[in-house]
Amino acid sequence: MSAPVLVVGGGPAGLSAAHALASTGTSVVLVDKADRLGGAPILSGYAKLVPSGEWARDAIGGMVRRVEENPLITVHRNARITDFSGEPGKFRARTSTGADLDVASAVLCTGFTHFDSVNKPEWGFGTYPDVVTTTQVEQMLSSGAGIRCPSDGREPERVAILLCVGSRDRQIGREWCSKICCTVSANIAMEIREHLPKCNVYIYYMDIRTFGLYEDTFYWESQEKWKVKYIKARIAEVTAIGGRLLVKGEDTLVKRPITIPFDLVVHAIGMDPNVENLEIAATFGIRLEKHGHILKAPTYSAMSGTTRPGVFVAGAATGPETIDDSIAQGQAAAMAALGMAHAPVAAAAE
Amino acid sequence: MPIHEKSLIRKENLVTHERLTLEGVDVSGDWSTFIQPRVITDYNEAMQDEIAALPGGEAIHRCWQCGSCTNACTINALNSDFNPRYWIYLIRIGLESELLRDKDIIWQCVSCNKCTYACPRDVNPEGVMKATAHWLELKGHTPPSPAMVFDEVFSEQVFEHGRIEDGRVLRRFFARTGQALRQDWLVAMVKGLVSRLPVSLLIRLGLATVIEPKTRGWGPARAAIAEYVAERHAADRRALSLPAEESKR
Repeated sequence: MSAPVLVVGGGPAGLSAAHALASTGTSVVLVDKADRLGGAPILSGYAKLVPSGEWARDAIGGMVRRVEENPLITVHRNARITDFSGEPGKFRARTSTGADLDVASAVLCTGFTHFDSVNKPEWGFGTYPDVVTTTQVEQMLSSGAGIRCPSDGREPERVAILLCVGSRDRQIGREWCSKICCTVSANIAMEIREHLPKCNVYIYYMDIRTFGLYEDTFYWESQEKWKVKYIKARIAEVTAIGGRLLVKGEDTLVKRPITIPFDLVVHAIGMDPNVENLEIAATFGIRLEKHGHILKAPTYSAMSGTTRPGVFVAGAATGPETIDDSIAQGQAAAMAALGMAHAPVAAAAE
Repeated sequence: MPIHEKSLIRKENLVTHERLTLEGVDVSGDWSTFIQPRVITDYNEAMQDEIAALPGGEAIHRCWQCGSCTNACTINALNSDFNPRYWIYLIRIGLESELLRDKDIIWQCVSCNKCTYACPRDVNPEGVMKATAHWLELKGHTPPSPAMVFDEVFSEQVFEHGRIEDGRVLRRFFARTGQALRQDWLVAMVKGLVSRLPVSLLIRLGLATVIEPKTRGWGPARAAIAEYVAERHAADRRALSLPAEESKR
């Protein structure tokens, strides 16, 4: 039990794994490529989290503080793992900052990369300043700047949120559902309605996947309390006319083409595999699944495992994941690492 | 961007020029036929709020277009053009012109409330139908339906006297809907009553048609009801941005 556990990535999953390991008296080395901990919710400036409604800086910020203040956890910021070798119980990792770490196991909490909307040029991102992403709207809210059209700073009177941008789209090789964008969009729509009561919000969808308990608390609530309108249409293109945006598509419920003017168009961007996953896979000697996420070992027999014994994984590194589930998986991976520390031989033999 | 689906082409959207020459080419008659676009170019955002402001329409914004209402509908089984699910959608996105195409059948809802029990989102489609028929009347798109006129004559008497007299209700209803009082079924019914009912009851019925029956001490109730009805009418008209009502007869 002397060697520490290496946790790679300080987002919700990594913070959770590090805290869980330290709470059992295990020492942890936490490595993050950014200059601060917190992962996507902090680095991308998320506003109020789904489903708790707590501000990201409070909720995730609290997790960061808890880890930073723990004497059993050593944090390396601005650092990547460049070499990783050895076997379960006796791994050696080297960081890009030149540190050599002897660790018993590794937990990869390397997360995801937001879809870059430039890859769907027909939807106007990068061409028209008033086409933004859900991440940018989160930042408008979390910074206190409010919802404004970037082109001239006016308050929008009508907002369109386009779902499945960078998800469920063979044209661009994204064959997965990003799971949380429907709920996040409903949440953002309610925020916009609360901030700008005169502004109508339309959500263009193929289906609404506010799974589990998000159904009534987000989807229904957005319709019933906040009068957000849902239109069944996958948008074909976004153009502009006379200072406003023009959203074109087919309203499949009335079987009619639509060309509707909007002030602000929001792309509900999906979760791509971490752009560095190929590098991560090569460094750690693990395999990726067909979409480029980290391949998980069988859940039933080897929860939190990867294809390499002693290397574990948690959170959105394995595919689109919610923050709550990433935190749960962080703890599960910590448990797996602890279990291996107690029975290294059996685990290695498997 | 036309949709080439024959079932969607309406006669009124076909345009043909009897005589037309384009750049020296004669395209008269069928050669110049084209289909007008069906593109929706904007949403009328007031429409849903207007219907929602009328009694029965309050929960319209909950609809997620599952079609349970239409599937359960008594009238839809007889006339497939009667489609509450579709109308709710038109109202929600504000497609007034499309709704008006069906204005002459919307009132046919029989209020069986099968849709109410089928709806998974508690939209109360029966109430929405009622609100929609009401909206069409207030906006002047449809004349008051016979059922609405009957409601009026019935409630006028209740409001005025606290009770009704059947004969008077019938007479006023026929008068206001322009129907003759001498209806065969009515004659047959009166004859039946005269031959079967005890004389004392017939005398009371006869007196009631001459002397308007009143509820004792109805005054305060009448005033309260009149005030409420006026408030309600004013609220409905305000919600639809209609000018305040001229005082009623």
